[in-house]
Amino acid sequence: MMYGSSGTQSKRDLAYEHQAQISILRPSIRARRANMTVKFQDLYGFVVEGNVDDVNVLNEVREKARQQGRVWWALEANKGANWYLATHASSVLKSSLKFSALVNAVTLKRLIKKGIPLNLRPKVWFSLSGAAKKKSTVPDSYYNDLISAVVDKDTAATKQIDHDLPRTFPGHPWLDTPEGHAALRRVLVAYSFRDSDVGYCQGLNYVAALLLLVMKTEEDAFWMLAVLLENVLFNDCYTNNLSGCHVDQRVFRDILTKKCPRIAAHLEALEFDVSLVCTEWFICLFSKSLPSETTLRVWDILFYEGANVLFNVALAIFKMNEEELLMAHQVGDVINIIQRTTHRLFDPDELLMVAFDKIGLMTTTTLSKQRKKQEPAVMAELDQRLRRLNSVNVDEQE
Amino acid sequence: MARRPDEEYDYLFKIVLIGDSGVGKSNLLSRFTRNEFCLESKSTIGVEFATRTLQVEGRTVKAQIWDTAGQERYRAITSAYYRGALGAILVYDVTKPTTFENVSRWLKELRDHADSNIVIMLIGNKTDLKHLRAVATEDAQGFAEKEGLSFIETSALEATNVEKAFQTILSEIYRIISKKSLSSDDPAPTSIKEGKTLVVGPQETNTKKTCCSTS
Repeated sequence: MMYGSSGTQSKRDLAYEHQAQISILRPSIRARRANMTVKFQDLYGFVVEGNVDDVNVLNEVREKARQQGRVWWALEANKGANWYLATHASSVLKSSLKFSALVNAVTLKRLIKKGIPLNLRPKVWFSLSGAAKKKSTVPDSYYNDLISAVVDKDTAATKQIDHDLPRTFPGHPWLDTPEGHAALRRVLVAYSFRDSDVGYCQGLNYVAALLLLVMKTEEDAFWMLAVLLENVLFNDCYTNNLSGCHVDQRVFRDILTKKCPRIAAHLEALEFDVSLVCTEWFICLFSKSLPSETTLRVWDILFYEGANVLFNVALAIFKMNEEELLMAHQVGDVINIIQRTTHRLFDPDELLMVAFDKIGLMTTTTLSKQRKKQEPAVMAELDQRLRRLNSVNVDEQE
Repeated sequence: MARRPDEEYDYLFKIVLIGDSGVGKSNLLSRFTRNEFCLESKSTIGVEFATRTLQVEGRTVKAQIWDTAGQERYRAITSAYYRGALGAILVYDVTKPTTFENVSRWLKELRDHADSNIVIMLIGNKTDLKHLRAVATEDAQGFAEKEGLSFIETSALEATNVEKAFQTILSEIYRIISKKSLSSDDPAPTSIKEGKTLVVGPQETNTKKTCCSTS
């Protein structure tokens, strides 16, 4: 295998990074042959491995993002800046007679599925997710006050955060610098004090890191993290027993059985449990599994439509690999198939097309109902587990 | 370390790595399966695994080593992680006493989730950090004896004892498996509770790559 060198890239300015062309780092001529692996940088500065086809796909993705940029700019010229704010669910209800708002809402939903242009992402996410509103309810100095109040604190959360900083997207030209580590640390530590039920959960480091890359300012990244955990996602996904994550796994298991019965039956025969791959997806919101732009396209929808998109995408990943999964003989094969394909899903449209056109609607309300149904079982299970562990404890202390 | 895709093996042994966050589980995995050590490895969330095929007591064994997140809140989510495991390697960091103190909690976790016959090995990792050592070898040795675990100290960074550790646990698993199939007259796979994991004979026909290239 031929590898380009990845160590020669200079630490570039973050803003510049966003505009960066995809460049294969010192490609070898021989590497251009099919199936040769090359390392290259993606839209957000991550060095990824793939073959020449993958590079071409990423170039197309970048070109499409540019086209979408032109569409968004044209709309702004036509409807005025911030036109998309007049479409927010609540304002649509209030002004349901206002046809233009409805038209805007339909346009916006369609546009967001096609991807928010890179340079508009910070602004659009901040407004549509509710982060702007959340921030507006506290004094302007909230974030700065918070970080200066907790600067010397030493807790279990800060210890774990410090441990994970260099292990969060190592090698990234900005995140993996002293400056990047310090920014990520402040965001995570600040949040751990804001919500002591969550504190710090491993996996949030990846989420916050991507938020930092997109939002560009730490304070906005902090508010995005807050709105994500407090409003966008279902409850208790990151709290100290991850009960929300347990619930999500159960709900997803049922959905898979219903929507992809052949896959579900085969996986059950292999004794494969979806939690083996879904834990990482639901906790890191795909940031550790999918290429960066694909992840962010999922997040575009997440911040506008809500957590249902996570289930659609998870289901799509299984569905896209149906034939191969049905041939798997063991649990290990299944994990390999899933991890290999997710790492190489460079074309967001390919994934989102399956996630929405081939799977059908799953509304957040439906999911909430299913989650409610599963909650008691999860709580009982966690409770029993604690009791079992404590009883072992008692036996040992005899 | 490229392996042939159509490799054949007599046994497939699943071994899980457990222990606190940051004790070096992922690097023990990469040292054993790929002979690599990465100072900048990503923290593990969910499940990663890698395989290596080697000779154990004259048989070809495919060792499938699983790795997962170490933070306490993840412990309850990993029951599927333990399923079918024939061995468990419980890792602590010789420079961090709390990671050793938590070993007994991890043992409870194992007893709760895993098969009661699982072979357990205790590993004190990071012996290369000599000046920072905070857990004495004798203490760990004594604990291991009391609990009936095998014990070894390793350095994934310097590749000290890693091979020996895995060879030891694999041999131990092999001895138990072969003893079982002798005493029960059953063919080996059915004598193991989770028959799916112990695959006998050349079964693997369609996997083009081992996870060495994906994790």
